[in-house]
Amino acid sequence: MADRVEVAVVGAGPAGLSAALAAARAGAQVTLIDSHRAPGGQYFKQAAAELWVGNPSRHQREGQALWQKVMEAGVRFLPETVVWGTFEGNLLALHGPQAPSFLQAQAIILATGAYDRPVAFPGWTLPGVMTAGAAQVLLKQQRILPGKRILLAGTGPLQVVLAAELVRAGADVVAVLEGGRLFTASLRHLGVLWGQWRRLVEGLSSRLTLSRWRVAFRPGWGIAEAHGRDQVEAATITRLDQDWRPIPGSEETLACDTLCLGYGFIPSNTLARLMGAEQDWRPDRGGEVPLRDGHMQTNVPGVYAAGDGAGIGGGPLALVEGEIAGIAAAARTGHGAGDVEREIRRLSPALARERRFQQMYAALFTPGPGLYEWSREDTILCRCEEVTQGDVRRAVALGADSINEVKAITRCGMGDCQGRMCGHLVAQCIARETGRSVTEVGVFRPRPPIFPVPISALGRHAADDTSAGAAEAIRR
Amino acid sequence: MTRIGTSPEVERGQPITITVDGEPLQAYAGETIAGALLAAGRKAWRRTLHGRPRGMFCGIGVCFDCLVTVNDTPHVRACLTPVAAGMVIDTGGKP
Repeated sequence: MADRVEVAVVGAGPAGLSAALAAARAGAQVTLIDSHRAPGGQYFKQAAAELWVGNPSRHQREGQALWQKVMEAGVRFLPETVVWGTFEGNLLALHGPQAPSFLQAQAIILATGAYDRPVAFPGWTLPGVMTAGAAQVLLKQQRILPGKRILLAGTGPLQVVLAAELVRAGADVVAVLEGGRLFTASLRHLGVLWGQWRRLVEGLSSRLTLSRWRVAFRPGWGIAEAHGRDQVEAATITRLDQDWRPIPGSEETLACDTLCLGYGFIPSNTLARLMGAEQDWRPDRGGEVPLRDGHMQTNVPGVYAAGDGAGIGGGPLALVEGEIAGIAAAARTGHGAGDVEREIRRLSPALARERRFQQMYAALFTPGPGLYEWSREDTILCRCEEVTQGDVRRAVALGADSINEVKAITRCGMGDCQGRMCGHLVAQCIARETGRSVTEVGVFRPRPPIFPVPISALGRHAADDTSAGAAEAIRR
Repeated sequence: MTRIGTSPEVERGQPITITVDGEPLQAYAGETIAGALLAAGRKAWRRTLHGRPRGMFCGIGVCFDCLVTVNDTPHVRACLTPVAAGMVIDTGGKP
């Protein structure tokens, strides 16, 4: 039997917490689902409960306060729970220690967040090469340094903030490589920064920390190769041109044991796609994002999307979008006091302010097209199935010109991550080879289970009356 | 080696001993398996089908690169799974 709920929220980061709170305060019965042990997502990442930290960050304190309100509002929370599939009639298939097998919701809010954009270059699969997000988790959740001599490469102020946190925690930060060339570009956007004082203060204080510790900040530089036998021992860096293509002859090699990559984020939109939400290709918002109306509703009635999972915009924008989605979803299920349109209009100044900031951020920190040309023929694009750029090009030479044809030939995207890591890399490679656009090349078609779950879990689902459709879908 | 800070800012959880590839490893409650391995200076653990070393990459449960076997259960993400006393971990990539 499926549990029933009025509003299901998938993801307990800023958008999901804000949505759950708004919907519950309006009177809706809300279930909040997250794949991690603790709520907060990456933005509000909390220190592990077993660890006592005397000086939590501002984000951690804000996340804690928001979580308190969500609990007080009577939201049911399902931790360590993945949504591995969705089926007709807003039915979510769940797997988790406290979760029912199925959850039938009148309205679903997808607040699935984002993950660091993978960038393929020779040596990027070596242990010691990790995303900036991985380093953040170690720092914030566990107070552990990812390594001793750390090189950061990426784009945007988050990298500078991370570098400063690493330095303050005692790491030797070798350098911070920024792919863009910022100074002239940023002058055009000064007006947007008016009012963004907390962001400016945080950015400046991080920049000062780096200066004080003499950490080199190098705009217009990227990674050419990571070296090492069983783990990273050094990295060759290279100057980049305006389009982020390496400039031959500019290389330098730096010793390091850790490489943290922060080239922006990719929205987690697999569930939205699986539910049939129409998507738009928006490089300025991280990639493919669901189309939405002013209520954050997708073209699938009753399915809403908010926060980074619906297009990269950062925590503050996610909070506003989540609140709108929560109010709208509650209204759809017959809750809410008075005029919903007026409630939502009340939030429009905040929404507009954060969207302006997002546009500025995207204009400054969207990587150039050359980012996808850092790989060589023998560089792995699909980490799970160990498919190289050469394998992908050979499939194209055989006549494949879409990502799903290349997948069928090479197995790229068929591994555990379900193509989340290699999707953009493979699509860009095919587009380059065929002269087609990334939109024409397409994206991996998601199929349930969209996350690996034990066979025993599927067996349990299949034995369930309400899941005949699900069992059928898995057999297909 | 790379655990940050001591009192007054940070108090770690209970000390815990886990077994990794047959050797005891000191960890603290609240750490993930990946965190404990990295804090011990071990960056590489799993081996791919082609024998290439892998460790933690995305850190948030998306990439599935950090998989280990825990108490005979295969396919466990080291980056998400907290350590527990007596846990026996097989990384599949004994150094």
